[in-house]
Amino acid sequence: MADQAVTLQAGAGVRQLRDRLLPYLIAVAAAFAVVGVVIGVMGFNVPRAFTTILFTSFRSPNGLAQTLSKFVPLLLQALAFTLPLAAGKFNIGGEGQLIVGGTAAAAVGILFPDLPQPVLLPLALLAGMIAGALWMLGPAWLLYRFRINEILTTVLMNFVAFELINFASTEIWPDPAAGHPTTVPIGAGAHMPMLLQQPPLHSGLLLALLIAAGAYFFMGRTTFGYELVVTGANPRAARVHGINVRALFFASLLVGGVLAGLSGAIEVTGNYHRLIEGLQSNFLLLGIIIGLIARGNHLALPFVAFFIAVLDVGASALQRTLAIPSEMVFIVMGLILIFVLLSDVIQRRR
Amino acid sequence: MAQPALVELKGIQKSFGQVVALGGVDLGLAPREIHGLLGGNGAGKTTLMNVLYGLYRPDAGEIRVRGRPVEIGSPSDAITHGIGMVHQHFLQIGDFSVTQNIVLGTALREFPVLRLDAARRRIAELSGRFGLEVDPKASVEELPMGVRQRVEILKALYRGVDILILDEPTTNLTPQEVDRLFDSLRAMVDQGMSVVFITHKLREVMKVCDRVSVLRDGQHILTAPIGEADEGTLVAGMVGEQVDLRESLLFSGTDLESAPATDESPCLEVTGLSVPGEGGVLAVQEASFQVWPGEILGFAGVAGNGQRELVEALLNIREAAAGRVLLAGEDIRGWSTNAILSHGVAYIPEDRVSDGYLPTVTVAHNLILGSQRSQPYARRGVLAWDHIHRGAAGLIETYNIQTQGPGDLAAYLSGGNVQRLMIARAFSGGGQLLLAHNLTSGLDIPSVESVYDRLLARRAAGLSAVLLSDDLDELLLLCDRIAVLYRGSIAGTLKRPDFDRYQLGRLMSGAIAHG
Repeated sequence: MADQAVTLQAGAGVRQLRDRLLPYLIAVAAAFAVVGVVIGVMGFNVPRAFTTILFTSFRSPNGLAQTLSKFVPLLLQALAFTLPLAAGKFNIGGEGQLIVGGTAAAAVGILFPDLPQPVLLPLALLAGMIAGALWMLGPAWLLYRFRINEILTTVLMNFVAFELINFASTEIWPDPAAGHPTTVPIGAGAHMPMLLQQPPLHSGLLLALLIAAGAYFFMGRTTFGYELVVTGANPRAARVHGINVRALFFASLLVGGVLAGLSGAIEVTGNYHRLIEGLQSNFLLLGIIIGLIARGNHLALPFVAFFIAVLDVGASALQRTLAIPSEMVFIVMGLILIFVLLSDVIQRRR
Repeated sequence: MAQPALVELKGIQKSFGQVVALGGVDLGLAPREIHGLLGGNGAGKTTLMNVLYGLYRPDAGEIRVRGRPVEIGSPSDAITHGIGMVHQHFLQIGDFSVTQNIVLGTALREFPVLRLDAARRRIAELSGRFGLEVDPKASVEELPMGVRQRVEILKALYRGVDILILDEPTTNLTPQEVDRLFDSLRAMVDQGMSVVFITHKLREVMKVCDRVSVLRDGQHILTAPIGEADEGTLVAGMVGEQVDLRESLLFSGTDLESAPATDESPCLEVTGLSVPGEGGVLAVQEASFQVWPGEILGFAGVAGNGQRELVEALLNIREAAAGRVLLAGEDIRGWSTNAILSHGVAYIPEDRVSDGYLPTVTVAHNLILGSQRSQPYARRGVLAWDHIHRGAAGLIETYNIQTQGPGDLAAYLSGGNVQRLMIARAFSGGGQLLLAHNLTSGLDIPSVESVYDRLLARRAAGLSAVLLSDDLDELLLLCDRIAVLYRGSIAGTLKRPDFDRYQLGRLMSGAIAHG
């Protein structure tokens, strides 16, 4: 009897998981179906294109390392978006915060090249986080004080950051030998320790996973996380019941800035060992897509981020080996998002 | 009934998802009668009439009007068949005149020229005939609730209906306005019309109706002419077996014990409180009052006379412009809402959808809102979900909240259950002062009864409450004193046992100041 009960419970758990995963699987399949038709009409080999997109990451150690290196900034950018979003606020400035975070980390690494690693690396990462928070301070304060829409201000701060990175890499610490706006290298003490030398994989991965686990615990198990969620659910009711929602908005945005700044510092200390213009890639956009697909579920977030990293690596391979525009993969991502959101609407109708 | 029925509803069924709102209801409306439709919240009265008015499609059943079976698919179909309905919430355009509001949506004979003289004459004629006095040229937003309701009735009459459905029409009227409304209804019936009068108040049914039908839980319980209806039978029909009528506060007619002593220091003392409303005008002006330990103080008044601003200012959800608020002797004006709430105040807001609950998270999340930082729910900033779920399960059980469990989404709760949730949250917080705005709105009769019991148990334990309510009967039943708000000022305060419904009505309508 007891065994049967356990089986039944496990069965219910599996069924619940299946019910929650099913819309995602359908969305992914539908997105690939649509893009498959487009690729086919364009005259490309559809099965080869699909295997390239999905399996490049797993065919070689190099592919996997590359995917995991992308996974780190994607996960942090997604968190920088979803934590304020839990309270109902939109951080669209992750790109700018990444850039200033990277710039601050590079500055520390360049100015104190001789400090030992146990001092310099934490200092560089800390500088990145503080810079990210400072970059957010303006938008967060404008929201707190004057209720100025944070979407607008965070986006606008991105453009300021583009000029900042340009200035840093062409005027302050330019590397004349590089053909692209780049700073001189940071001191070896600021390098992230490597998990693997060949293919290269830095330990920022562990840091990002640790932070994702922390975010999951924070959102589900702490009063601060509870207040964020409650504020996102109904800010007016939260306020009426004593929650200082404006302070929460402010704090949640700053936390977003910290995480995005850290993503930039990790790119500099782990990946490039210098500041390079364009290091922000399209992480902001992909991070937002990841956050929206995960729909506020911080347990699902790392998995979604990994999947998107796989697709992103597949996209480059697609262009390289089959000459299919990598934008096709962005269409896949966009369609997955649309179909996931659509499944919400359908479920609500039923 | 010797005469053939004017309207016959047969076996009307209507379900919303899993919830059966009407389980096969029969109802007949005779010519020239005021037919009371009596029942508690959730009995199905409004749903049944919304079916007749074409707002809902019945799942099964037949509607006959003047002997012929009809399909009513929309309110305009209903109006074609001579059926009009006045809802609890008026759909009026504030800065339009009475005439403009009434002709809105009707065909204009002189289209495309807008000439309203004929319409105005017709409205004046109708309003004279039925005693529905209005100024056709007045702007609707400047009119008191009683007159706005006349506009809504005239809207239906203007469209030529002879069957009028009124949904809880006495909410928000002063007793004097209720009397006038009843006179008008009588005039309509005398001139050949029929009226369906939806209410949950027995007293009103006995006063104005010719016949009464009682609904409960979506079932028709009985129909009887008023002369033959025995109050006890009607009450039993409304509440069923769940409430012992001799013990019932609502129906036994017993009065509260005398008021508590006032020689102690007050629990709440408010002096000269002024609160700005929307647009900078003072919504509350120099309100001063005390609440004593073990006292229930009521605030009566037509909705929109500063009730909401007053209670929100006490909690600093809204900033006061002037005045002093002492809670147990401490000046709390300027304290954060959180500090006030954790200082022994519990709040049940008026607007449960916008202020009271969180639809997208679980019932447990909702139940601990405001207590999320206190033990046993949290310890050093970390939530104890096992305690939270156990506590929530207990509250769900005690307050009879209909839900799958603490982990279920709050969005699935019905309005009455959201109200129970807010009551559970506020009552379990254990504050010395409860501020409740429309405490029992949307609750069925047994729930109302149990909430009243709990409130009076609090009172007996020496805890205080401020009740703001649109329902004068509720205040008369529960309060030790009733203050009346009129245009943001306290127009007067009456003390039990000197309560006088009509005196309160005069204060509510501003007919006398400082009575």
